[in-house]
Amino acid sequence: MSGSVSALRAIAITHRLLVRQLVTKGRIAALLGVGVIVSLVVALVSRAVGEDESAEEALEVGIEVMSNLGFTIVVPIVSLVFASAAFGDLKEDGTLVYLWLRPMDRWPIAVGGWLASVSVSLPVTLVPLTVAALIADVGSELVWATVLACVVGNLAYSAVFMLLGLLTKNSVVWGIGYILIWEGLVAGISGVGEKLAIRGYTRSIIAEQTGVDLYLGDLSLGIAIVVPALVVVAAVVLSTLRLRSLDVA
Amino acid sequence: MSAPESSLEPPPAPPPVSTARPIVEVQNVTKSFGDVVAVSDVSFTVGPGVTALLGPNGAGKSTLFRMLCGLTAPSRGTVRVLGEKAREHRNVRGRIGLAPQQDALLDRFTAYEFVELAGRTHGVADPSGQARQSLAYVDLDPEDPKRVGAYSKGMRQRVKLAAALVNDPDLLILDEPLTGLDPVQRNRMISLFHDLGDGGKCLLVSSHVLDEVARIGSNVLVIAQGRLVASGDYRRLRELMDDRPHRIRVHSDDARKLASALIGRGVADGAAVRENALLIDTLNVDRFGRSIAPISAELGIRLREVVPTDDDLESVFRYLVERR
Repeated sequence: MSGSVSALRAIAITHRLLVRQLVTKGRIAALLGVGVIVSLVVALVSRAVGEDESAEEALEVGIEVMSNLGFTIVVPIVSLVFASAAFGDLKEDGTLVYLWLRPMDRWPIAVGGWLASVSVSLPVTLVPLTVAALIADVGSELVWATVLACVVGNLAYSAVFMLLGLLTKNSVVWGIGYILIWEGLVAGISGVGEKLAIRGYTRSIIAEQTGVDLYLGDLSLGIAIVVPALVVVAAVVLSTLRLRSLDVA
Repeated sequence: MSAPESSLEPPPAPPPVSTARPIVEVQNVTKSFGDVVAVSDVSFTVGPGVTALLGPNGAGKSTLFRMLCGLTAPSRGTVRVLGEKAREHRNVRGRIGLAPQQDALLDRFTAYEFVELAGRTHGVADPSGQARQSLAYVDLDPEDPKRVGAYSKGMRQRVKLAAALVNDPDLLILDEPLTGLDPVQRNRMISLFHDLGDGGKCLLVSSHVLDEVARIGSNVLVIAQGRLVASGDYRRLRELMDDRPHRIRVHSDDARKLASALIGRGVADGAAVRENALLIDTLNVDRFGRSIAPISAELGIRLREVVPTDDDLESVFRYLVERR
């Protein structure tokens, strides 16, 4: 009666299951709250500056605030919360067995997990940050830059943090360590560190799209999109290998 | 069920249970977690029918089951299910049904949703119909809107069983499946196990309760301290255990006088007095039971308490492992 499950079907089943597991009222409320607060700060600061300064200076301030709050805190933290929980929660509470001991290849499970993380974290971050960019009212460049950087950042962070959830027990702690220490400190003082920080790519997208110079934002748009895409592929491949070698409780 | 031809041997060298058509083949399997050896050099084969895996908590039963399912790899040796390694062959994973020991379920799902999901992840042709049928097997209502997170322990056990059955597996691995069930449910589930075994399925059912094992299956594998200490027919195991020396604690108002009378009349094989309690060793517990009251009455000794101290499963395993 049992048969093997096709790759597409396995992706769809995993995606549906994990989205349902990830979306809890508490998580969504808390993270949306953070997103809304950050958006309000971005919007208020930009508008306040805009009243006293020129349009160009207002744009620069809006971009700086958006980059520092939106893409340094909101996008990575929201992605971390959902992506690390995608398999991390199942691994910890012993329910991964209901996905693992099935006639399904491992890679569709990894892809389904990544898509589930993105499906939840992208709307939670994209909506408030885009609204903030609109309220800031400093030009359509910031709106489009925000949308693109948000999509790229979510895709890349979700893949990396999903892998982290499979590799470590305290993935949220390790993830916050990466965001604060690696992206916050090491990336600023080391060339290699900068290349290995997703934040550099999202900031580069903002800088490239708006024409405003940003700290850690000196990569071309092509590189800022292609490298995170490669990061996604690498993280999903490593997650697949981890699922194969994992000891399941 | 075609019962494996087997013979129960005393330790220290348990033989494998041999079968004509092995579904499970375990050869010299050892599993270590750091310095802790959970399973040590275990070998056996199991064919269709119900086989009970008996062992105290922490004996290595769940680790053995996890290796059979491919959930963890053995440190040494080979484990094959239907001729393949479940960890490496996805089609084999589709022919296994596992009800794990841990209580974890997807708590936000209803029983129907959970079992239907199990069907879809197994690629069954009609997951909805199969889920309803599996839930009916375990006396659960597919229309129940309650989430499994709100279920009692017994109901959760039955949900796990239904999920394990949904793909009509060739090998059913049930880790302590009767825990939390009331007596009526236990009887129902044991009957279901036998029906499935009679239908040609291979069922491996673990338990740490001796009397439960007697009803689960006539074929037993006994595991203790990570080693397979006995295997074969349950009745032979029971006889072996009944032959072991029993220790009984007797509280009376004259322990020494009673001890010498019991030994003098051959009712006890050994006696010791500790903290006013008389500890009796006897190979014939039935005779001891019949004799202790008349002898005490004859001597004018008042009995306060007669308690067997080693009727627990641990002592049975200790005897099988160490012969003491």
